[in-house]
Amino acid sequence: MTLCQLFLQSEAAYACVSELGELGLVQFRDLNPDVNAFQRKFVNEVRRCDEMERKLRYLEKEIKRDGIPMLEIPGECPEAPQPREMIDLEATFEKLENELREVNQNAEALKRNYLELTELKHILRKTQVFFDEMADPSREEEQVTLLGEEGLMAGGQALKLGSPYRHAYRSAVMFACNYELSIHHEGGANTTESMTRALISDDPNKHMGHVQLGFRDKQESLEFLPCFVAGVILRERIPAFERMLWRACRGNVFLRQAEIDSPLEDPSSSDQVYKSVFIIFFQGDQLKTRVKKICEGFRATLYPCPEAPADRREMAMGVMTRIEDLNTVLGQTQDHRHRVLVAAAKNIKNWFVKVRKIKAIYHTLNLFNLDVTQKCLIAECWVPALDMETIQLALRRGTERSGSSVPPILNRMETAEEPPTYNRNNKFTSAFQHLIYAYGVATYREVNPAPYTIITFPFLFAVMFGDLGHGALIAIFGFWMCYKEKPLQAKKIDSEIWNIFFGGRYIILLMGLFSMYTGLIYNDIFSKSLNIFGSSWRSNYRNDTLADNKLLQLNPDSEDYLQYPYPFGIDPVWQLAESNKIIFMNAYKMKISIIIGVFHMLFGVCMSLWNHIYFKRRISIYVEFIPQIVFLTLLFFYMVLLMFIKWTSYGPTPGKLGSDDPDVIRTSAYCAPSILITFINMMLFKTDPNTRPQCDDVMYAGQMGLQKMFVVVALLCVPIMLFGKPYFIMREQKQQARSQPLGAGPEGAEGAQAENGAAAGAPAEAPHGAHSHEEISEVFIHQAIHTIEYVLGSVSHTASYLRLWALSLAHAQLAEVAWNMLLRKGLMSMGFQGGIFLYVVFAGWAAISVSILVLMEGLSAFLHTLRLHWVEFQSKFYAGEGYLFQPFSFEVILDSAGQAEE
Amino acid sequence: MKGCIFNIDGGYLEGLCRGFKCGILKQSDYLNLVQCETLEDLKLHLQGTDYGTFLANEPSPLAVSTIDDKLREKLVIEFQHLRNHSVEPLSTFLDFITYSYMIDNIILLITGTLHQRPISELIPKCHPLGSFEQMEAIHVAATPAELYNAVLVDTPLAPFFVDCISEQDLDEMNIEIIRNTLYKAYLEAFYEFCKQIGGTTADVMCEILAFEADRRAIIITINSFGTELSKDDRAKLYPRCGKLNPDGLAALARADDYEQVKAVAEYYAEYSALFEGAGSNVGDKTLEDKFFEHEVSLNVHAFLQQFHFGVFYSYLKLKEQECRNIVWISECVAQKHRAKIDNYIPIF
Repeated sequence: MTLCQLFLQSEAAYACVSELGELGLVQFRDLNPDVNAFQRKFVNEVRRCDEMERKLRYLEKEIKRDGIPMLEIPGECPEAPQPREMIDLEATFEKLENELREVNQNAEALKRNYLELTELKHILRKTQVFFDEMADPSREEEQVTLLGEEGLMAGGQALKLGSPYRHAYRSAVMFACNYELSIHHEGGANTTESMTRALISDDPNKHMGHVQLGFRDKQESLEFLPCFVAGVILRERIPAFERMLWRACRGNVFLRQAEIDSPLEDPSSSDQVYKSVFIIFFQGDQLKTRVKKICEGFRATLYPCPEAPADRREMAMGVMTRIEDLNTVLGQTQDHRHRVLVAAAKNIKNWFVKVRKIKAIYHTLNLFNLDVTQKCLIAECWVPALDMETIQLALRRGTERSGSSVPPILNRMETAEEPPTYNRNNKFTSAFQHLIYAYGVATYREVNPAPYTIITFPFLFAVMFGDLGHGALIAIFGFWMCYKEKPLQAKKIDSEIWNIFFGGRYIILLMGLFSMYTGLIYNDIFSKSLNIFGSSWRSNYRNDTLADNKLLQLNPDSEDYLQYPYPFGIDPVWQLAESNKIIFMNAYKMKISIIIGVFHMLFGVCMSLWNHIYFKRRISIYVEFIPQIVFLTLLFFYMVLLMFIKWTSYGPTPGKLGSDDPDVIRTSAYCAPSILITFINMMLFKTDPNTRPQCDDVMYAGQMGLQKMFVVVALLCVPIMLFGKPYFIMREQKQQARSQPLGAGPEGAEGAQAENGAAAGAPAEAPHGAHSHEEISEVFIHQAIHTIEYVLGSVSHTASYLRLWALSLAHAQLAEVAWNMLLRKGLMSMGFQGGIFLYVVFAGWAAISVSILVLMEGLSAFLHTLRLHWVEFQSKFYAGEGYLFQPFSFEVILDSAGQAEE
Repeated sequence: MKGCIFNIDGGYLEGLCRGFKCGILKQSDYLNLVQCETLEDLKLHLQGTDYGTFLANEPSPLAVSTIDDKLREKLVIEFQHLRNHSVEPLSTFLDFITYSYMIDNIILLITGTLHQRPISELIPKCHPLGSFEQMEAIHVAATPAELYNAVLVDTPLAPFFVDCISEQDLDEMNIEIIRNTLYKAYLEAFYEFCKQIGGTTADVMCEILAFEADRRAIIITINSFGTELSKDDRAKLYPRCGKLNPDGLAALARADDYEQVKAVAEYYAEYSALFEGAGSNVGDKTLEDKFFEHEVSLNVHAFLQQFHFGVFYSYLKLKEQECRNIVWISECVAQKHRAKIDNYIPIF
């Protein structure tokens, strides 16, 4: 990674940056961080791109609304267009947008017209029903509802239609009078007088039909008639509307409503809305204005509705023909719109890509500096040193494309700045690299643990998840994802959980395969064992002994054991050892965990050696790496050795069952010491006084002395780690401080000029000295923290690896419980009901196996593995204080834009 | 004890609200905004803040009104999100906040109809937080009694309106009286409600509402000079939940000119400071701005305490102030009138 300065001719800059964007290997630095976003050079171009994007989004929205499929970009992504093409694009979008807006406007107007006509049609139809109902008195009673049931409750003025005509009429009149009075009281106009007179003076029986029904009787004069308005209103507004009418008109209106069954399209938002037809009867002009105002307030649309049935019929006919006409026109408009959109849909993705690329290029150009002559742009960028050639080539291509004669200049720059970290990855390693980056991006040029993680991660996972069956499930899932990689990738599934799984498909595959391997070693498949090679153990008991005893022992030093081990993994006979299977497995798995852990940590410490060598920290090798590795080896690796010694030197002697020979006893399991106790005693410098008779105190000759020496040497390493580095740094600084005055001394003797120099040097020196002094105390503190962390860490980390055993045990036990409590019950049931029972039980068992044992246990094992890597392994060498190389790449920009859209 | 169980119902929303609050523009943002040459620059800068792409879909020649609408739209969406996820008593509290917008809307509509403006023209000017179903039919009413009986009786404002029914008809003066009576009743009810909730909410909200009440009393007094409003009528309009109550209000009721109001405020430390700093000269801040500043500082203080509802109120008010600021700046930018561009009220 090198910092480069790039001089670009202003004409060629665009093309060059575009080429670099295709390449995606260059990270530009912002050279004018103090300048506001809107004060930069190419802000106008960026704004134009924003505008184009807006138009495209509008187009896209319209396309989506019509459900037209948008063509994916066939094959290659389009290249970023030339700046001059931008104007063409702008013109195209402008034209399309305007055309579409116009079409939409027309369509909306037509639709509004259509809506009005449809509503009118419904009104005519529904009111017809009302009028018919009214004309047929026999149906009135049950059908008609009155406005405002509150009225009933409030005044007890039952304005019921139907049989109690007289009563109804009277109350109506009463209302009218009240109203009249109130109007007079308010000093209102006397327009309603005639109405009242009419109401009061007329014979009630005669008049009834009009008041209630608004039905035209040709013999009656117009002046007595109640008026009505008819209209359409949103269905959800009906209750409030009704209440408001009742309140504002004091119950002097009568409202009928009917729902329009089919939803109507709202022209402005093109949503489907449900509406109702209503008709309001009332009397007098004042009420009319009121009712109209309320209708307006509730956004009800009123339509003229002729009173005579013949007129209505005629009007309905007219409406129908107009609807037909409108339908054809509307169809044509829609067709036109559709054509425009289909044409746009073919290119829209392409355009999006183009516009986004242009925008990205100008954003990048905004990061550049303009030189004094305004002729060229200066950029600073991080470039991978290996790719210099490719970048040069791309730049040359860009220059050629732009037709500029002056080639761009790419200069390497010396810098003290920390370069960004860039690890090349393929699709297989990237998932593992992300696991590492999740902890922290590697400091520049630090050892990257990702390659080792590829093996250790699935392996440690598998140690915890050792089950052939469950492992196979995971492996199959992982394999399926890897096999169907391309189609699945193309699907672009949004679900976050799926994306996590899919991103880690190779990890999952490897985890599954390794789990199958450890499952074979543990001889565990859904908590059962496989007897592939035939067990090495035989039962030599007689049948009646077997029948009588619950527990029997098989002795390895008798003929029960064939004297050669099961060829691979654990002998399946342990599956039957109900009393000591767990004890045996625990001892085995615990030791395995510690062994793996110590090796893993040792490996981590060795990694730090490469770091020290690369960064030329010689002191660190001597006072950090060596004491660290000595400490770890002498204490914990020695413990591992003790385990191997115990495994190899203690055990049964074939054919010597119950022998009293001291040699046999001394090497028998009876005399095998506990490693843990031995280790604790070693640290405490004491021998175990409670050794059993006939057994040796030690595992091998000279153990005590050797152990004491190990502990002493290991403890001696601690002060070296603690003080070594600060001491060397201090000494180095002192030497520097001493050599500098010495160097300046002879100069000072030369004269006034040199004196000046010394005077100038002194103030410069003083702050430096203070600075370094401060640093020393900091170095001490840091070193103390690191040392304590390491020393305590090696104890706690070693213990931490026991989680390998613990999780493995938990998994095995859970699997066993699932088998014994569920599937075994099903398998033991008899008869054909048993079959059904088994069918049900198997479903339960399978569900639990997948959800709890595979998913949850798998997740927990995954997290523990992650922790073992991050904390126990990487803490030995990995600082993770770098920052990521983020090259300017169209691919990344388009991807993120696409995601943001969704 | 209240704090312990606060998070069961209000924890999520408080967190959300505090998160929203972090999106409020900082002083540095304002410094950048006032440097803008055009509204496009303003848009570009706002894109870098919490507002994000709220203007991205607007066609290019931006109008200040569009910015205003969009700002308000965003605020309303956020507030309604909070409201939709709230449970009692927070939901009532949030509803209470919206009542003041309802009052404003009603007054706006009545005034509009009084001036013969069509209702369809007035509706878009109403604040969306204060809209209610019967709102658009408000012009049916010709007298306050009718207004109450026909329109407001179903709305939550009904109890506040009881005092105004006596007014004879709707003219400019009466509308103002109705507005102030409504506000008085509303503020007092809100104050009582917060008291009843108790705890930190009461501490924080009563402080803010008391200031609001006093501000109204002072402003009413100052605005009433030279109008036909009698002193008795004026005294009836003072909200009685502030710190001025009762002595200060009595003194205000007797005031005849600005100096006397100022003399009343002298007795109250926080208000006298506001009057001190205010002046009508060019470059001085107006009393109104001073009040706004004080309000902002009170609202910012509300965020210093936890487990109370005051943050929701304060957030809304601060955000409103921010909208006013942005609109002010964009007006200045649009009209090329940069002399007064710095008259915004910074929040943080």
